[in-house]
Amino acid sequence: MHRRVIELALLCLCAGQAGWAQEFKILDRTVQIHGFASQGFVHTDHNNWLTMYTSHVGSGEFTDFAANASTQINDHLRVGAQIYDRNLGNLGRWHPSLDWAFADYRYKPWLGIRAGKVETVLGLYNDAQDLDFVRTFALLPQSVYPTDVRDATNAHAGGDLYGSISLNRHLGTFSYTAYAGHRSDSSHSGYPYLLSQWGTQFQTFGALQYGGDLRWKTPIRGVLIGASRLNQDTEGSGTSINPGNRSGGRIPYYECSKADWMNQFYGQYTFSRIKIDSEYRRYLRDQSIFSGTSVNITDVRGWYVSGTYRVAKRLELGSYYSRYTITSVVGGALLRIGIPQRTDTSLPENHIYDKVVAARIDLNQFWNVHVEGHFMDGYGSGNYPNGFYLQVNPDGFQPTTNALVLKTSVSF
Amino acid sequence: MKAEKGEHAMKSHKLLSALAAVVLFGSVHALAGEVKIIANRSINADSIAAVELKEVFLQDRKSLSDGSRVEPVLAKNGAAHEIFLRRYLGKSDAALRNYYRTMVFTGTGAMPKSFASDREIVAYVAKTKGAIGYVDMDTPVEGVKILAISNSGNKGEPMLLTRVEPEYPETLRKLGIGGSVRLQLTISPQGSVKSVAVLGGNPIFVEVAVKAAKQWVYAAWPSQTTVEVTIPFPPRP
Repeated sequence: MHRRVIELALLCLCAGQAGWAQEFKILDRTVQIHGFASQGFVHTDHNNWLTMYTSHVGSGEFTDFAANASTQINDHLRVGAQIYDRNLGNLGRWHPSLDWAFADYRYKPWLGIRAGKVETVLGLYNDAQDLDFVRTFALLPQSVYPTDVRDATNAHAGGDLYGSISLNRHLGTFSYTAYAGHRSDSSHSGYPYLLSQWGTQFQTFGALQYGGDLRWKTPIRGVLIGASRLNQDTEGSGTSINPGNRSGGRIPYYECSKADWMNQFYGQYTFSRIKIDSEYRRYLRDQSIFSGTSVNITDVRGWYVSGTYRVAKRLELGSYYSRYTITSVVGGALLRIGIPQRTDTSLPENHIYDKVVAARIDLNQFWNVHVEGHFMDGYGSGNYPNGFYLQVNPDGFQPTTNALVLKTSVSF
Repeated sequence: MKAEKGEHAMKSHKLLSALAAVVLFGSVHALAGEVKIIANRSINADSIAAVELKEVFLQDRKSLSDGSRVEPVLAKNGAAHEIFLRRYLGKSDAALRNYYRTMVFTGTGAMPKSFASDREIVAYVAKTKGAIGYVDMDTPVEGVKILAISNSGNKGEPMLLTRVEPEYPETLRKLGIGGSVRLQLTISPQGSVKSVAVLGGNPIFVEVAVKAAKQWVYAAWPSQTTVEVTIPFPPRP
């Protein structure tokens, strides 16, 4: 499999050398083909991270690639599709998925519609979270963009209404997106993997999602602010070990959300070679689990501040501080059998504070390398995915983790 | 002695101001008209507002306000490319590439055509319906039309790129006198102010207003043109 990745990377590199866009004609329409491939390596001093065995030598099970094709049908209508595949430790596992595939009809700058499987606009980077080659950091702040639960927010099968309204130069530009659709999680994504540590196996997991994003490019040059909202109605079913009788065999498992929403607020300032971002996300989930016998309320709050500076044509430096806290309150049968409440966010098991320094080196226009150091306090191992899992840390967790992340990407 | 020192400081200040003005004027003059916007002849418009041009190249719009379909065309590098990005898009080359890549890999846009030379850009724009690009001011542009950059679309005037503010006359400032000056500027096709005609205003304000206006730089325009401007001098305490 690694050989396939290397071959793909070489292909991307060669294609990239040929120019920005690879294209051909079908029925007199120009079809553009683009792709990217990236390979990472992570070494940690203590805990294993992101479902990989990263301590000791480190892990190179950190690969992803994508290829897409798109064409402009007429002045207003555009169609395209992208295949995405990744292997991140125990996530992804080389099962390619349809990342997005939609028709986009842009009637006017202020009104367009997309229908199909559409990337979800949520905050500054959700829809572009796989594209490390367009930013300084190999890993986005995990407090707001946890890569292990990428499937939860990445895309929805449904539709978007979107547009931009340019006001006069004293008021700036407003952009909006409103969407509704259905999310389908892969069985190889973070949430099913997390629950597998307690013996739960999903056969289906997904959600109806709807929400919106409103952003304002202010008249102050380089300043953007915005807010996003995501509501969802999740539902999953499968089987599980009975937590009240672990030797009693498997029982049917069903969970659904009573309330499940995410709010995100963000701001960005760009000036010359400097970019400063900051985002805050709160995710609240009130769910009925174990076929209605228990409840679980999870409250995840994350924020970060990041700054980047392009030092030279081929070198960009950056740093961020990312802060993540999680609380979990259970009720019903789980409470009766002694599952603890997690409400003290000062404990390392309920937070992750991550200080990051990073460098991005552009070897050419199509090939770049990331070098990144993470200095983490806490492991936040609650009942929502956040990078640290018991399956790869069977002896428990250390309170701090330092990580070195190397990643190289090619794109064309 | 104190007076001499003050006079010396005043002379130094004036010398520095003059030097700064020369440097500023020299640099902006060197940039004036170095880029011209070219378009396929299928495009009806003769001019394009700067904000509209930005939206076209950032793919926020696919057509101009007159309904003409447009397709942006880029240079891969070069001085004209750098000037165009800085002046009209406000992005570096790396930032623009990342912007397009984000669109390409989220399905929200296409990678524009890009060419290594002005000659190739002109050839592509000439043969491609709706194509719009930019080239160095000295590049021959047969077979395409030149779009003027205006502040307000087809009916507008050339876009003012560099505005030098007049120095408020000290005597009038002390007396708390304000006013305004109306000028008619003759702009060369390259964007520099060739001449200034006074339409009205206090003669003391006129002197500094004319001096400042001569340093203004406009975007390139298909032919020599004139614009009328009013320079206000609000009374200062």
